[in-house]
Amino acid sequence: MFWRKQKAAIERFHPLHRALTLEKGFAVSLRRDDWEPVIQSLARHRTEIRRRRWLLPARVPGVLVPMLRIMASDMRPDGVLSVAADVRGPRLPEKTGPQYDVPVQRPVLSMKQWYAMDPWLRMRAELRDGSVLELSVTDRVRYRRRRKRNPRGKIKIKTKTKTTHLVRVTRRLAKDTAVQRPGTPPPPWIRVQVKQGRRMMFRANGKLPGPLGEAELIDRILHVSTEPFRWTPPGRAMGRTTT
Amino acid sequence: MNRCTVTTGFFVLGRCGQQAVASCPQCARPVCAAHAGPGGLCSECATAQGYTNQDPHHPSWTGGFRRRYYQSSSHAYRDTYWYSSFDEYDRGAFNPGDDYSHGGDWGDDDTGFVDS
Ligand SMILES: [Zn+2]
Ligand SMILES: [Zn+2]
Repeated sequence: MFWRKQKAAIERFHPLHRALTLEKGFAVSLRRDDWEPVIQSLARHRTEIRRRRWLLPARVPGVLVPMLRIMASDMRPDGVLSVAADVRGPRLPEKTGPQYDVPVQRPVLSMKQWYAMDPWLRMRAELRDGSVLELSVTDRVRYRRRRKRNPRGKIKIKTKTKTTHLVRVTRRLAKDTAVQRPGTPPPPWIRVQVKQGRRMMFRANGKLPGPLGEAELIDRILHVSTEPFRWTPPGRAMGRTTT
Repeated sequence: MNRCTVTTGFFVLGRCGQQAVASCPQCARPVCAAHAGPGGLCSECATAQGYTNQDPHHPSWTGGFRRRYYQSSSHAYRDTYWYSSFDEYDRGAFNPGDDYSHGGDWGDDDTGFVDS
């Protein structure tokens, strides 16, 4: 029997860890403290799993786990953290858009272009100050397939890809939370929208040329997430209505 | 009762508030059993002395990563107030056992955004 030990190890994983390993994704809502056993199970992956098809992509320990920790740290024990993770990658028919022709010049004979949209991480957290945070990370991949005649008359086909990480973070404040406008604008690659009301909402969109490594990607995701919190800086407007 | 004043949270900061079992030999803030690090140091002093845990699977990772995050986001936004408000909160040992009021119900979905 092949892979007996690793199969047994997967059987002992947390069910969500097992789903991530075998089905490459999950979508679930759990209370804050129910995420800790998931993280502890994921911590064993690297030492227990060798088989290539069961390896987890680097964005699991590099982005998913840190984001779980960060969100959970801002929650009360009874707060709910919802996560939809999909690490199957962008090369799936349901993630691929239509192909169309792009005008070309010789020696290129023809070029087809299409996009894939891969929303691989979505999270929603009820934070302890009564605000709700929603975050999504989508990889948009542009494919360009060129047919080209080389100097010796041979036809070559080449496909180039270009990845952009789209990060969207929305925070809805608790009712009547005091806010203060940040003193500086966000960096040019972050676009911010504000919705006024008793429950103010902040939305930040970041567009990041990629593909980025995990360490840089997590930094950038957190930079986009920063703007909705700059309106309630630590120690000042702490999401609490004084009575 | 003496309560642990170690900073918790990431974007929404608070104080631990658990019963303290010792005080940090470096900065004298009271620390609970969970937050007493090597040599009884509080998390911040342990981080300052290089005892950071680089593995995000470890529960103490967030506390060590937090200060680095506030530095880099402050830089990205050219917003020194953002970092100093964190730093001030983190160093101040006031307001132990901070808890948060309930935020109420969540209304209907998002429409009507305007640019800030
Ligand atoms: Zn200390
Ligand atoms: Zn503590």
